[in-house]
Amino acid sequence: MAFLAEELPWPPSVEDVFLPSIAAGAWVTKFTLMVWLAVALIIVFFLVTYRAPALVPTKKQWFAESIYGFIREGVTKDVIGREGIKFAPYLTTLFCFIVVTNMFGIIPLLQVSPNAHIAFPAVLAVLSYVLFNYLGIRKHGLGKYLKMNLIPDAPKPMLIILVPIEFFSTFVLRPLTLALRLFANMFAGHMLLLVFTVGGFVLLGTNNILTQSVSLLSFAMAIILTLFEVIVAILQAYVFAVLTASYVQGALADEH
Amino acid sequence: MTDGQPSKHPEADGANMGWNAVGYLLGGMAVWGFIGWLFDQWLGWDGIATGIGVIVGMFGAIYLIVRKLGV
Repeated sequence: MAFLAEELPWPPSVEDVFLPSIAAGAWVTKFTLMVWLAVALIIVFFLVTYRAPALVPTKKQWFAESIYGFIREGVTKDVIGREGIKFAPYLTTLFCFIVVTNMFGIIPLLQVSPNAHIAFPAVLAVLSYVLFNYLGIRKHGLGKYLKMNLIPDAPKPMLIILVPIEFFSTFVLRPLTLALRLFANMFAGHMLLLVFTVGGFVLLGTNNILTQSVSLLSFAMAIILTLFEVIVAILQAYVFAVLTASYVQGALADEH
Repeated sequence: MTDGQPSKHPEADGANMGWNAVGYLLGGMAVWGFIGWLFDQWLGWDGIATGIGVIVGMFGAIYLIVRKLGV
């Protein structure tokens, strides 16, 4: 039993989300395949469920429709308003992609979410960032868009203090927090699961009956946290979609 | 964002306002703290300008929150 512990990747480290290359240098890793898999799953799922749409939906069609309906009504219409419905397909895609890739973190054999690597949330955040800035500039023109976002309604001397804060919070902090929130949640979840599962095996590999019995507690925690990760996976996808919608709404809003 | 407009969906607004407020507070301290830090480096002080900068940033952030997110 003692040699078992030596082979385990213990303790968990940041290196655990930098996966080894499968082919083509660093360009194809397990994450690359997982992203392809997620895209394929989502496309196939919506193609199959919407193939022969019926007025009285089948169970599959009902499921797909309720996902789209939830984002369309619950996120897009609520946050952006009626003119925002044209963003519902993008937000639904975004939501589904993040849910599926997050769920990979708890699916046996896959067992790690691409979103636990900062590169993937960063790209998603850049997409949202480009989207809301583009929409704002297209609607208001660059000058007016910047004026709306940078110059609050305040007395002139205060503006010296306020304009840098507005700039920082709108154009720097927004994409940063969008990416970091998703990344940190998925990374922390992955680390927690590693700590309790691998840690359980490490405890089991010790020579002491007391520490060995603690491994039961460790495995129990791993199971509870796996269920908890399901909630986190969906919640973080929802938060990402809501915040993207809210930024789009802010960019499209008329001057107050 | 949603400032000043009556909304039918207070929960969604509440979450957005929360994120905005946190963003302003962090942003205010970071931006003016950094400007203060630059002064410290330039003039060779040992941190007093950074401290003043952070306080100025917080002041600005709270002003913005009250102005833009307040009732």
